[in-house]
Amino acid sequence: MTVKFNNRDPVYVQVIRHFKEKIAKGYFEPGQEIPSRRELANQLKINPNTAQRAYKEMGEQGLIFTEGNMPSCITKDEAVLKSVREELIIEAVDLFLGSIKSIDVPLSEVLELVKKKHDAESGEAEESK
Amino acid sequence: MIEVKNVNKKYGRKQVLKDISFTAEKGEITCLIGINGVGKTTIMKAIMALTPINSGEILMDGEKITKESFEKITFIPDTITMLPQMKINEAFAFMADFYKSWNPQRAEELLQFFKLDPNERIANLSKGNTAKVNMLLGLSLDVDYLLMDEPFSGIDIFSREQIAEVFTSHLIEERGVIITTHEISDIEHLIDKAVLMDEGAVLREFSVEEVRENEGKSVVDVMREVYRA
Amino acid sequence: MKNYLKLVNFEVNRFFKLYLILIGLTMLSQLIGAGIISQTYMKNAKQLMAENQLSMSQYVEQYGTFSFDRFTDSEWFLLPIFFCIAMLMIYVFFIWYRDWLGKNTFIYRLFMLPTERIAIYFAKLTTIMLLVLGLIALQILLILMEKQIVNKIIPIDLQSNFSIYTSSTLNMWRWLYPTSFTEFILVYALGLLFVAVIFTAILIERSYGLKGIFYAIFYGLLSLGVFFAPILLVNVYTNYFYPLEIFLMVLVTSMIVLGSAIWIANHLLKYKIRV
Repeated sequence: MTVKFNNRDPVYVQVIRHFKEKIAKGYFEPGQEIPSRRELANQLKINPNTAQRAYKEMGEQGLIFTEGNMPSCITKDEAVLKSVREELIIEAVDLFLGSIKSIDVPLSEVLELVKKKHDAESGEAEESK
Repeated sequence: MIEVKNVNKKYGRKQVLKDISFTAEKGEITCLIGINGVGKTTIMKAIMALTPINSGEILMDGEKITKESFEKITFIPDTITMLPQMKINEAFAFMADFYKSWNPQRAEELLQFFKLDPNERIANLSKGNTAKVNMLLGLSLDVDYLLMDEPFSGIDIFSREQIAEVFTSHLIEERGVIITTHEISDIEHLIDKAVLMDEGAVLREFSVEEVRENEGKSVVDVMREVYRA
Repeated sequence: MKNYLKLVNFEVNRFFKLYLILIGLTMLSQLIGAGIISQTYMKNAKQLMAENQLSMSQYVEQYGTFSFDRFTDSEWFLLPIFFCIAMLMIYVFFIWYRDWLGKNTFIYRLFMLPTERIAIYFAKLTTIMLLVLGLIALQILLILMEKQIVNKIIPIDLQSNFSIYTSSTLNMWRWLYPTSFTEFILVYALGLLFVAVIFTAILIERSYGLKGIFYAIFYGLLSLGVFFAPILLVNVYTNYFYPLEIFLMVLVTSMIVLGSAIWIANHLLKYKIRV
């Protein structure tokens, strides 16, 4: 796992985001065990205190849970997982809308382009299988 | 916690340390940043009683540093702290003989991690490997505080990666670490606290994550600000 | 105490290879020299006896006896001694400076050991004294061996009696081979004092840099002055003091000089020394 962190945003925030992305993309299964904070620090090459902070925040946000002395796991709560996915999708949509706002184009045209591009890429993916 | 309080030092006519104050917590990595000659090495030596100070106080866990302290704190300078004619395992024997806090298993582990041959003479090692041995000798002591002077300087990129690996591993965990460097970009995301120094004085002391969160600035950004003024 | 012993062991080991070389050279030079000088003498003596038809006692009447001094006056005997003394004198300084100079920064490690730093001072002092003692012991042994060699080559009748204590040159060495145990102790205490003062002077130089050299020299001279004060007094007030009083005065000044050497060294090592 090599993640490129920028030096301006708090690293722990970037770690949480990284986890959310992984959850949304399905790399993390609900209830899946995650590395200990020390292992995570070692894998991502970050300060262990940062990993600690990230886990604390994620615990508070309900993204992960820790039972007693067991290793931490991704939440099994479907509602939480769903909201994470939604959060990321909304973020992407906001980003997208922000970019095209300046370009004066009707929404239906944009959506068609999106569908076209999406189908083309799925098709390519199918072919390369 | 290591507390440096109002430390002043004069060397001849020059005031090399001007009212230096900062703290380094256990479990955190504190980085002294500044160009060469600004006093980073001097303050580290002062903490280890390897050079005298004119005024001020240096405390470790609330107490002055005594000979017993050397089982709780160690210094890894940028020069080798063993006889060059010694073989690596002879150096180990020496350390084991004098330090109760010497951890032979950790030494073995680091030997393998750094891929060093215990029968090699220190004088025959390359610069990078000598730096690794030096680091090994310090890390293999079960001390609470580690002082490292320019651990990344003058060694090739692969050795540097290995050393960065060390910083994020169990070898450093729970310990208080003070490192100095003039090249911060490599390790920004590894440190907890930055202490910016210039001409013998501390310009700014801050927690890097807090500054990122509250000011949206990286350490390099803060440096630009502070050194520009 | 334990650390002090470990350090002594460490310091002695560091010098050991060189020490063996010194021992080897001394043995070689003196033993071979004893042989050569004896042989030369006998050859010459036999020749004279043959030419002039002399018996041994007649030879002795005319030409005198072989004194062991002939050997102990020779370069074979003396050069290695001077060489060893020179080497040890250099090492009195080098035992400290070697840890500071060049690629060697071992002094960092010594000062970071969990031990009182004065133990380092005592260990190096002890090492020097042990090395000297070792060479003295060696020399005594060698003289016994050399006497054997001479006896094998030159018949007793041709030799004069020899004692270290009447021998002319070796009288010079009375300092090293004192006549009584007390004298032995006194001479070595003096040597110890001398080395201690030099060590402290070295530490002064190491603590204060360039101006440290002046302080160090000043300190050395001061120590010398204090030590010799009684002697000076005795020469001014001749026949005034009893020998015991003189002895006690010198004892006191020695204690002062030794005490201050150690106190100053301890203070410097704890508060003023810099790597």
